[in-house]
Amino acid sequence: MRWLEAEPPKIPVLERESDYPPMAVSLTTTLVNRTGSWRIFRPVYDNKLPPCNAECPAGEKIQGYLDLMEQKRYLDAYQLILESNPFPSITGRVCYHPCEGACNRKEFDEPIGIHNIERFLGDFGLSKAPIPKPAVRRPDQVCIIGSGPAGMTAAWFLALEGYPVTMLEAAAQPGGMLRLGIPDYRLPKTVLDREFRKLKALGVKVRTNTRVSGQGPGTGERKPGTGGRGSGISVDDLRRQFSIILFAHGAHQSRELGVPGQEAKGVMSGLEFLAQINLGKRPRIGKRVAVIGGGNTAIDAARSALRLGAEPRILYRRTRAEMPAVADEVEEALREGIPIDFLVAPVKVIRSKGRVTGMELLRMKLGKPDESGRRRPVPVKNSSFRLKFDSILTAIGEQVDLGFLGADVPVTGWSVSADRWGRTGRSGVYAAGDCVTGPKTVVEAIGMGRRAARAIDAHVTQQSLPEEEKAEIAQYVNINTVYFDHASRKPMPALDLKARRRNFKEVHLGYAPNDAVEESARCFSCGVCDRCDNCYVFCPDMSVLKKDESYEYDYDFCKGCGVCARECPRNAITMIEERQAK
Amino acid sequence: MKKVITGNHAVSFGAQCSRVQVISAYPITPQTQIVELLSEFCASGKLAAKFIKVESEHSAMAACVAASAAGTRAFTATSAQGLALMHEVLHWAAGARLPIVLADVNRAMGPGWSVWTDQSDSLSQRDTGWLQFYCESNQEVVDTCLISYRVAEQIMMPVMFVLDAFVLSHTSEGVDIPEMELCDQYLPPYKPELKLDLADPRSFGALSNPDHYYEIRYKMQKAHEQALPVVKQAHEEFARIFGRSYGMTESYRCEDAELVLVTTGTITGTARVVIDSERAKGRRVGLLKIRLFRPTPVAELKAALLKVPKVAIIDRNISFGHGGIWTQEIKSALYDEPVRPTIFSYIIGIGGRDVTPKDIQEIVDFTLASERPPAPIIWRGVRL
Repeated sequence: MRWLEAEPPKIPVLERESDYPPMAVSLTTTLVNRTGSWRIFRPVYDNKLPPCNAECPAGEKIQGYLDLMEQKRYLDAYQLILESNPFPSITGRVCYHPCEGACNRKEFDEPIGIHNIERFLGDFGLSKAPIPKPAVRRPDQVCIIGSGPAGMTAAWFLALEGYPVTMLEAAAQPGGMLRLGIPDYRLPKTVLDREFRKLKALGVKVRTNTRVSGQGPGTGERKPGTGGRGSGISVDDLRRQFSIILFAHGAHQSRELGVPGQEAKGVMSGLEFLAQINLGKRPRIGKRVAVIGGGNTAIDAARSALRLGAEPRILYRRTRAEMPAVADEVEEALREGIPIDFLVAPVKVIRSKGRVTGMELLRMKLGKPDESGRRRPVPVKNSSFRLKFDSILTAIGEQVDLGFLGADVPVTGWSVSADRWGRTGRSGVYAAGDCVTGPKTVVEAIGMGRRAARAIDAHVTQQSLPEEEKAEIAQYVNINTVYFDHASRKPMPALDLKARRRNFKEVHLGYAPNDAVEESARCFSCGVCDRCDNCYVFCPDMSVLKKDESYEYDYDFCKGCGVCARECPRNAITMIEERQAK
Repeated sequence: MKKVITGNHAVSFGAQCSRVQVISAYPITPQTQIVELLSEFCASGKLAAKFIKVESEHSAMAACVAASAAGTRAFTATSAQGLALMHEVLHWAAGARLPIVLADVNRAMGPGWSVWTDQSDSLSQRDTGWLQFYCESNQEVVDTCLISYRVAEQIMMPVMFVLDAFVLSHTSEGVDIPEMELCDQYLPPYKPELKLDLADPRSFGALSNPDHYYEIRYKMQKAHEQALPVVKQAHEEFARIFGRSYGMTESYRCEDAELVLVTTGTITGTARVVIDSERAKGRRVGLLKIRLFRPTPVAELKAALLKVPKVAIIDRNISFGHGGIWTQEIKSALYDEPVRPTIFSYIIGIGGRDVTPKDIQEIVDFTLASERPPAPIIWRGVRL
């Protein structure tokens, strides 16, 4: 408001040529001319939600850490991830990274290698980041049943808020599906162990070999009791001992094939097969191995079988497009030479002396979409054929164990009933992860684990939970791509095919620091101001004022021309009608 | 420091010697090498200037206008269609009284598409308010850059200096690049009285109603009138500091001449050779080289030409529907004198066709042999 303070300027009188200025210049200061009054639209700094952030089931602030990463502020970047996901070294390896599918850069050249950068930061943090200390101590004891990603995440955030947390794990080692279901070549056990050390350093107690009474056999246990020892403790006992219980026991029960002969020797669930390998065993599966299914378990089982020296073959009843497995993993399986037969379904296991010798299959075709939206496979008449196999690994889905919950815990037909905050409707009883959602992904379990922790804390401290925000997502059409050079995505170094043979060495080798920084620099920073100065440089009225870490408009003089909004490379400025602003 | 350099690089060194602060240019043959070298100077730190890349010559001049209005020494270079594209902003630079300096490498206008030299591009900018200097040698190019800034900043008008495409622009000569210390002595830093100032913002180039506009234009004419003594003084001071002298015009062996050739640009150098051989034969032929086009050095033209019976003006340009532009200018300058020389107007070398000593010799012979010009335009070398 400089112009208000100034005296009205005296306008000189021009009588003769010598009174005139040398050129066409205003006779007084132009500050008196408050050109802002001409404005009918005004620019406002208005960050949008980057699509990667919007898509992340864990709610990671991806654009934010890519920005920090670009500035080589690794620790800050790591700590920003930890606000929503405590275990980026895990998701950086096994997440299906929907963020990259949403990345606007894919329209320009290739999406940012967010997954690979996350892994870099996760590994950086494991070796360099200090363990945080809770600011307060709370008396409310929390028991988490299950030590998979949902339980781990809830444990981390609750411990951070000062709650004493005890995790119960039926198996001999913690990690749930991360340990038992995911092969070493994707997630080395050392990484998982280090994340558990981090949890324990924060004060989380982990009780392994602790099965809740009535809990069915877990993964890796063909029969009850072959895994961890039963603790004899019931859900009711736990509810007496702990003020808060969080069910996070996952979905570990494999669906059966449901065809004649399935009890034959040599038929094994893929999950069980993976668990045995993960527990250090080397199951004998022979040479010709059928893997039934199209999900991640099928791919993991087939690639693991290959590493044991077998010749696995994936049989899936739909087509590539309907495969629920992560596309990258399918790609790797094909690269490793594993054949996938589409549109085939088993009808009978063929046995000899109680052992598998082959399978009878039917050709399928795709019919009308089913409730999942995918086209339902229907058998082709008279198309049955036989293939010879030494063993069959089934991977057609997992189910939740509901048998041990007790009458008080609400269930739907196939899972624990809870809202997105993990609230079951029973006081002090929460649930998160696959046991609520059915078999989903690690990152979804992490997101739900965090929300459940938040809900528990909100309940204890009597706060309300935040409303779900509906932010506008930054669209590719609003990115000003003239400001970006095409640059291809940094490839992830990987073991060559020869080096993968007969071992479970990690396939992907991780970005070098420079690669991670350069890859981060490709980020458009969609919808989020990253202080590029374009608005400041372009404003023809010098009405963009620089503040420490941001900008402000001088609306006394901004004419609302919109050049700043137009030239913003990343859609962080919005033009709004002047009358809406008032 | 002596260097063997092309005319284009002589311009670059001239700009460096002038410590220009903002350069904005768009590439065009035959000018491109000028700003190429300047961009290298900027990149390597040999010249503390901001190099602004733009998408057209119109924008290049607009950037220079803004830079100059902000109080910095601005420079650009162009040719032919590029200069024509700048036309609107050339008016603006002059009207806003901004002492921008522009190097124009004379190139014929298309079509037919040509990259070779003639003066139609620069001379057709006659009425924009810019001063123009025409150069004969690479040494003159370097020196004229410094002189241009000195004059421009004293009278607050833009200056264009001109060199012939290829004949100078791409031809190497020995050039003495002045010492920076001497350059600084000759050309002090640019400190305008009025410039863009955030503390006292003004509207520059604002709407001027009929009550105001007329006086502003009056002042522009006054500035051109004031320029004549300023140019003279700038040349004298240049000679004092650097020991090389030029003028608005230069008379070469004109004593007792019965014929004086009038030349500009590199044709002057060719003509000098012919004059020397004519004088050796005892013929009374001299040469007047003109360096300054706008303001017109009327007094110098009169002093050099009124005492001569015949004048042959060599124009490497044409104003269609009238004739050679230098001819019109000189005729107009001499008009109010009761006794005037007989003027022969030659058009030659359009679109870069070579102008050789033989051509000049034929002009001399023809003029001496003719009592009156046979036509308003005498075409040399056109295939009729």
